Amino acid sequence: MFKRILVANRGEIALRILRACQELGIETVAVFSEADRGAAYLELATEAYCIGPAKASESYLKIDRIISAAEIGNVQAIHPGYGFLAENAHFAEVCRSCEIEFIGPSHEAMALLGDKNAARRLAREAGVPVVPGSEGLIENEAQAIALAHQLGFPVLIKAAGGGGGRGMRVALNDLALKSALQQAQAEAEAAFRNGEIYLEKYIEHPRHVEVQVLADNHGNVVHLFERDCSVQRRHQKLIEESPAPRLEPRTREAMCEAAVRLIQAAKYTNAGTVEFILDSECRFYFIEVNARIQVEHPVTEMVTGIDLIKAQILVAAGEELPFRQEDIHQGGAALECRINAEDPAEGFRPTPGRITRLRVPGGFGVRFDSHIHEGYEVSPHYDSLIGKLIVHQPTREAAIACMKRALRELHIEGVKTTIPLHQQILENNAFHEARVDTTFVERNWPS
Amino acid sequence: MALSSAQDVFDLRKIRRLVELMKEHDLSEIDLQQGEVRIQLRRGWNPQSPTMIAPPTVSASLPAPSGQPAAGGEPPPAQPKENIAFIKSPMVGTFYAAPDPDSPPFVNVGDHVGPETIVCIVEAMKVFNQIPAEVSGRILAVLVENGAPVEFGQPLFKVELEG
Repeated sequence: MFKRILVANRGEIALRILRACQELGIETVAVFSEADRGAAYLELATEAYCIGPAKASESYLKIDRIISAAEIGNVQAIHPGYGFLAENAHFAEVCRSCEIEFIGPSHEAMALLGDKNAARRLAREAGVPVVPGSEGLIENEAQAIALAHQLGFPVLIKAAGGGGGRGMRVALNDLALKSALQQAQAEAEAAFRNGEIYLEKYIEHPRHVEVQVLADNHGNVVHLFERDCSVQRRHQKLIEESPAPRLEPRTREAMCEAAVRLIQAAKYTNAGTVEFILDSECRFYFIEVNARIQVEHPVTEMVTGIDLIKAQILVAAGEELPFRQEDIHQGGAALECRINAEDPAEGFRPTPGRITRLRVPGGFGVRFDSHIHEGYEVSPHYDSLIGKLIVHQPTREAAIACMKRALRELHIEGVKTTIPLHQQILENNAFHEARVDTTFVERNWPS
Repeated sequence: MALSSAQDVFDLRKIRRLVELMKEHDLSEIDLQQGEVRIQLRRGWNPQSPTMIAPPTVSASLPAPSGQPAAGGEPPPAQPKENIAFIKSPMVGTFYAAPDPDSPPFVNVGDHVGPETIVCIVEAMKVFNQIPAEVSGRILAVLVENGAPVEFGQPLFKVELEG
C-alpha cells in the first residue's frame, strides 16, 4: 500500500481524496494555487505546496510543477481527481516514467478510450450497441450528406477528440448540415486542438444513463450499476440518481454487462464510467467512456455501500478488489444535487464571492461533500461547483422528500446558488414520475 | 528581555547554541516557532563581526488561547521598508545555494546583485534551473536552507533594492 499520495486537484474532490487517504492511514501531499492558499481542506493534508498563481493553466494544469511537488513531497502515487489532468494520457505517462503510480487507468487505455471514434469502433467489436452513425471519421461534406440521408435526419455531428458538448451540432437538413459541419470542426479545433468529427443519428429526447465500472490489475472487472443523469442544462449535470428510474431489470442487466464487456476489451483498469443514451423505446446505445472518477460518484457509493475512492487507491496499489459481482447490490435510492455558485435568475452567471453564512443539513441519509466554510472565498478562476448534496433513502419517493428537506436546511449566503432551481425541479411532476430526458431542464426553464 | 510562558524558547543556553550554529554554518537569520511564540535571530549587517547579534525579537504570531497577547510588551515586528524586495521561487523543487557541492554559494549576504545575477538553483525533475535575481540590490538574507524543498512563490532571498 502507498505510504504517501499527492492529490493533484482542488476543492471538494481534493477533500474527498484526502479523507479517503486519512482513513486508509496514507499520508498526503496537497497542492494549491495562490487563489486556494489558506483553504481549510488543505489542513487535512500532511504537507501542502503552492504550485502557482490562480490561473489553472499556471498551476493545476502544470505537469512539471505537480511532478516536482510529488518529488519533494516524496509520494508514491498521484490521484488526479476529475477535470484538470485526470484524463490527460500524457500526464499519466509522465507519472509512470517518474516511477509515481497514477491512480487511474493506464495511459494506453486512456488514449484509446479518449478517442471517441476509436471507442465507438471498440464498442461495436465488443458487441455493445452504438448509435447508428459513421463507421469512422467524416472525410468530406459529400460523405456526410450521403450518410445523413442513409441514417435519416436529424443527425448529430460530434468531435472525436473531446466531450462536454463542445464540437457538437445537430443538423435537420442538408443545408443545416453543411454549416454545422464547419462550425463543429472549428469548435473542436479550438477546444481540443483536434478537428476530427464523426456523425451519429440524433436520438431525440434521450435519457442519459451511465454505468460505473471498476477493474483491478488481476483481471477482475465489476460494474456498480447505473446512474441516471438526464437532468442537465447545456450538457452540465444538475441532478443525478441511482438506480435509474423506469428501467426494466433486463435492460439494466444488459447495459451493465455491455459496459463490463467494453471495459474488458479496452483492457481498462481502475474506475471508469460507461455512458449510454436511451431512446424513447428504452433501447440503449453506447456514447463514450469517462476514464476517471466522476463528480457524481457518491450516488453509487450510497446505493452500493462501496467507497469508490478507496477502491481506486487499492487497485492502483496492485491489490485485488475485495468483492465480486455477486457481492454488489443496489440498495434503496440516492439523489445528488450539484450546488453551483451561479445565479439561475441571471442565466446561470457564475457568482464568486465570500461565503458569509453556511448551514449544512444533516440527519438520516444526508451527505454533503463540500470544501466550503464560512469565510471561504469562492474563486472566479475555477468551475462553480461549491458542494454536492446527496441523500439516500429506501425508496425514490422518500429520497425526493429527504432532498427537499435537506435543500431547505442548506443555507449558503454570500454567493448566489442553484438551490432554487433544484427545489423547482424536485417539485416538478415530470421529475416525480421519472418522465425526464436531457431536454427537460431547457424546456421547462428556458434561459 | 521579556519572557513568555514558553520558557523553552528563551533558555539562554539554547539561544547561545543557536548563535553558535549560525556562526558555524554561516547563517544570517534563524526564524523559529514553537506553539504561539516565535523567535528570530539576525546577525549584524557586518558579517565580519558575528558576535554582534540583534536582540531576539519575540512576536506572538498566533493568538494566545485567552485572546490576550503574550505578556511583557514585546516590540512590534518591524514594518517592511519600501525598498525591500524578496526574490521568490518561480517553481517547485529543491533549493541549492551553490552550483555544486564543492563550490562556494552563488551569493552571500552583503553581495550586490543585478537582474541577470544567478542567485541559486532550484532543481525540479532532475533539471537544475538557474534562478536570476530579476532585481538590483544587496542581499540582506538567505531565507532557505541549502537542499530544502521550496514551493512556487516561496521567498528565497531578502534584498535591499538599489537604483
